Amino acid sequence: MRIVIGEGSCGIAAGASKVHKAIEALMTENEPFELGSTGCIGMCFLEPIVDLYDGKTLLRRLVKVSADDAANIVEAARSGDVSKVDSITISAEDEEFLSRQTRIALRHCGLIDPVSLDDYREADGYQALEKALKTMTPEQVIEEIKVSGLAGRGGAGFPTWFKWNAARQSVSETKYLICNADEGDPGAFMDRAVIESDPHSLIEGMLIGAYAIGACEMIVYVRAEYPLAITNLEIAIAQAKKANLLGENILGTGFSCDMRIKAGAGAFVCGEETALIESLEGKRGMPRLKPPFPAQKGYMDEPSNINNVETFANVAWIINNGGEAFAAMGTENSKGTKVFALTGKIRKGGLVEIPMGKTLRDVIYGIGGGIRDDKEFKAVQMGGPSGGCIPKELLDTVIDYKALAATGAIMGSGGMVVMDESTCMVGMAKFFLDFTALESCGKCVHCRIGTARMQEILTRIVKGEGKEGDIELLEELCEAVKDGALCGLGQTAPNPVLTTIRYFRNEYEAHIKEKKCPAKECVDLLTYSIDADKCKGCTLCAKKCPAKAISGEVKQAHVIDSDVCIRCGQCVSSCRFGAIVVE
Amino acid sequence: MEQIRITVNGREMVGEKGETVLNIAARNGIEIPNLCYNGKLKLYGACGLCLVEAENSPKLMRACATVAQDGMVLSTNTPRVKKARKIALELIMSDHSGDCVAPCSLNCPAHTDIQGYLKAIANGDDKEAVKIIKEKIPIPASIGRVCPHPCESNCRRRLVEEPLSVAYLKAFAADNDLASDAPYTAAPEEASGKKVAVIGGGPAGLTAAYYLCLSGHAVTVYEAMPEMGGMLRYGIPEYRLPKAVLAKEVAAIEKLGVEMKNNVKVGKDISFEEIKNGADAVLVTIGAWKGSSIGCVGEDLEGVLSGIDFLREVNMGNRPEIGKNVTVVGGGNTAMDACRTAIRCGAENVYVIYRRTRAEAPAEDIEIEEAIEEGVEFLFLTNPAEIIGENGKVSSIKLQVMQLGEPDASGRRKPVPVEGEFRTLDVDTVISAIGQKCAPSGLEEIELTRWGTIVAAKSTCLTNVEGVFAAGDATNNGASIAIDAIAEANEAARAINAYLLGMPMDFPEPYYSKKDVTAEMLADREKKARAVMSVKSPEYRRNNFDEVLNGFTEEQAREEAKRCLECGCHDFKECKLIRYANDEPIAPERLSGAIHESFKETRLVTIERDQGKCILCNLCVRTCKEDVGASILGLVGRGFKTVIKPEFEGTDKIEICKTCGKCVEVCPTGALKLLK
Repeated sequence: MRIVIGEGSCGIAAGASKVHKAIEALMTENEPFELGSTGCIGMCFLEPIVDLYDGKTLLRRLVKVSADDAANIVEAARSGDVSKVDSITISAEDEEFLSRQTRIALRHCGLIDPVSLDDYREADGYQALEKALKTMTPEQVIEEIKVSGLAGRGGAGFPTWFKWNAARQSVSETKYLICNADEGDPGAFMDRAVIESDPHSLIEGMLIGAYAIGACEMIVYVRAEYPLAITNLEIAIAQAKKANLLGENILGTGFSCDMRIKAGAGAFVCGEETALIESLEGKRGMPRLKPPFPAQKGYMDEPSNINNVETFANVAWIINNGGEAFAAMGTENSKGTKVFALTGKIRKGGLVEIPMGKTLRDVIYGIGGGIRDDKEFKAVQMGGPSGGCIPKELLDTVIDYKALAATGAIMGSGGMVVMDESTCMVGMAKFFLDFTALESCGKCVHCRIGTARMQEILTRIVKGEGKEGDIELLEELCEAVKDGALCGLGQTAPNPVLTTIRYFRNEYEAHIKEKKCPAKECVDLLTYSIDADKCKGCTLCAKKCPAKAISGEVKQAHVIDSDVCIRCGQCVSSCRFGAIVVE
Repeated sequence: MEQIRITVNGREMVGEKGETVLNIAARNGIEIPNLCYNGKLKLYGACGLCLVEAENSPKLMRACATVAQDGMVLSTNTPRVKKARKIALELIMSDHSGDCVAPCSLNCPAHTDIQGYLKAIANGDDKEAVKIIKEKIPIPASIGRVCPHPCESNCRRRLVEEPLSVAYLKAFAADNDLASDAPYTAAPEEASGKKVAVIGGGPAGLTAAYYLCLSGHAVTVYEAMPEMGGMLRYGIPEYRLPKAVLAKEVAAIEKLGVEMKNNVKVGKDISFEEIKNGADAVLVTIGAWKGSSIGCVGEDLEGVLSGIDFLREVNMGNRPEIGKNVTVVGGGNTAMDACRTAIRCGAENVYVIYRRTRAEAPAEDIEIEEAIEEGVEFLFLTNPAEIIGENGKVSSIKLQVMQLGEPDASGRRKPVPVEGEFRTLDVDTVISAIGQKCAPSGLEEIELTRWGTIVAAKSTCLTNVEGVFAAGDATNNGASIAIDAIAEANEAARAINAYLLGMPMDFPEPYYSKKDVTAEMLADREKKARAVMSVKSPEYRRNNFDEVLNGFTEEQAREEAKRCLECGCHDFKECKLIRYANDEPIAPERLSGAIHESFKETRLVTIERDQGKCILCNLCVRTCKEDVGASILGLVGRGFKTVIKPEFEGTDKIEICKTCGKCVEVCPTGALKLLK
């Protein structure tokens, strides 16, 4: 028997390390079971997760495990009587979260030990590399990727083969293959999961790419906020070097390529490929003008190819299974699978990998289980700060680059933030614009000042100080920034604003004209009062109120002084009679 | 080099392969606006002004960074391009905090370059000062004495201690220049062959005549009175503006080539038709020479006269019989001129009747002060109720006592009668100085407002009659201060010149960047009191018309001029940003929000950098790095808060700075300044 603990960052955050230590503490010498760890399986809503294996067979998946469960787990592992952990075993319904997915990029995540080259090799690891290096020409590799229809998973969805081919065509002795692991979208974490949980698949995918374009060095630009990913990747690189999978004369084929990690300081703009290159060169992360494209003049002015983690994670699978198998999934113009990071007001949040062509409803309701607390679905923000929101009416939109773009949103890197009726869409737009305005590198006028001005307008709207004409002014600024900004960050920054205006204009108007927030989220626009018929005079709210805004005699209806009230909502949560009215 | 052909704005042009669109267009005479481009440096593409539209391309392109391809068809002035450029400029200007022009100049109706001439005076170069002043005011010695100087009311030095004595400094420089061996004279342009007739030789007429003459046109001024100068000659008393000073300035204009015809009244001595037929353009600057009536019983009695009639009589050398007791009605500068003139004419008791209080009186406070010194008695909060006469002649005046009520539309508290309270004064003369009216005659074709003033279009000064323009007190809102008339005359001269050359006459209001400055921002300035000009004693003044002011001493004037804070931008004339901002109308106010505060970086020792004016084009940073190879400057911070500072905020790098000044040279605005 084997106890395997899911110890990706999210598992650790939920308490997986404590579980690990608790189990370890109970273990004596010569236990009849082993204790191991794996990466992220992607079921955030069930963390910490512990799997019980018999050989390669998964006996039980235990969820929301706490250190208190350690004794039962150890007992079950010792005795083989897994009924001892029935109470924490995953439900059949929750199992569907995974069974309804089709995993390619995440194929090993949560299943293998991330820092075990043997585990990876057992799972067919490095077979694709061997196949490519020994049986295929670089052109054939590119052709296979072309057949697969793989497109950049970082956001833009540019055909991967085209970039590879362009870099291949650029004549130079020195070429670079760069992996963009900056993953700046605050709602996305699939790249982190891949590096943490399956670092060798990234190395293998990159090696195949390096071989295809003729690169001599591979660089992974990963954000410093991902320490576990960096650690696991460092270990994997060391293992690969030792196993002659990296370095000189790889696998005896004559192909040589080295690899290194560059930790980025976490500027969102460094996810933009030319800014990333500047940062790699040790300069301030600011985008360059294109052309010249990186395939012509990239890192150190040499031809460079940049793909993101998820893109590379698909490559070995494609070489192993053939481009056609990949292309068999998806739609006319979007092939294969896509990983989404499902978060927000969703019942089951986590990483979801599904074939292109499924609908948003399939993801949000079919896999995610719908909205938490039985609330009404309002919209989903696709593509993070660069993306847009998609409202309820468009839930049946097919997951496809073009279809999503038609809604005003983007596929993006796969962030999917679900919002319910209690989310203010103006506030939501402001949230993302606050982010992009802060993350603007400051180089071009449109982005530096344009986003700041939009942010100021949104701020005054949510404060109830919006003016007639503000919506139109926002729209004008949005169009100008989209048209005039230098790089993707600025060009896409208006998307959350434009889509919320497009689908929820009435909410903007309510804020500006009636000084009301329909979702009751903008505190400056709320008034708290007490329904005298419902108030029992229990005094609890008055005691809880940090502003001392509530007064009244015992067993008499209380009142809130709205001039003193700071609209913190403490009274609402403390009242047992539902007497607090928020308007 | 391989050649390529592109089309810009419908014009085919040839470029070399690899050249940018911006360069090819520039070489062929089409300037595509840009603020961050410099041919010596690597492409940057930040300002977004050079956006152009290419045929068959959905996106706008940055001309500075677009390598021209053979056969490209581009436009730099389509509505889409203009819109994009406009909003880019508005965004830049919304975070550009600086004063293009100093507030004194902005608030001078004629927008005289005050900072410029004060600097010249401070440097002891009065001729240069006069040259600068005469770009707007051809009669500075006169105007310097009489102007109520809105410039001083807006001088930022008042936030330190007191405003500069701008008007008197102007008079000082002009007096010195007039007294010099070779007073400043501008040179007229080559004769245009066009003729302009100016009707009325007051400040407006003289000003327009001067500038039209300088533009090469043949100008004739027709003046109804025996001498030129209008109200400056016949309204302002000698003790404020010695007529000899005015005469010198008039003579200088005549010497320039302006033909002056005195004692010619249009409609009487010559017909308007005749004047029109004899000129290519006519400017009407007849002023407002009729006093407004008091509007109470008895105003037709003998001994009731208007302030301007009284002043004109005195200024013509006559001494009207006014008796011992004189009452002047009104609280403006004309009332002050009248009461002080009455004192000088021998009246024993001179009263000023004003229905509000001293605080509301439109007269300059110094005028009230000096009048009191000379013995004038002010009866504030009184209003004439009735002028009482004996045998058809004024004997006394009944005054209604007033009090201040609610503020009126102008914001001043409205005077209301105190029911039943009156007082009576025995008087020999009542002088009404409560306003002036325009009374045009002989100009019947010209459309008038319902107040009897001439309807003249804003900016062009055009009347309803083809080729006839009007300016000054005679137009629109009527009488105002001399500098207003001069300002309008400047506009009229500009419009007439354009009209004569067949050019568009409408000149849009220029756009200026302005900054809000508080006293705290100037807290570090050394305090230096305003120069006080010595005046003749009240006792001396009462019985003669000698000039009250003694003038500044040389030392006083130079020191006073040095008090100027130089609020206007040193780079205004070369600034690319403001030039583009004036190409098409922009409205950055609609985008107003946070700004980069005007922090002055002085660590570079000899180079001062004003953060408020910096537009982050990064040219200084790039020049220092790529051209000079020093890399002293760098960008610090992110997003809107990005600023340029010595790189990594260190001090060690600053020591490398050799003050080569290249960063200052490339700065497209006035953010960088060499201190020397």
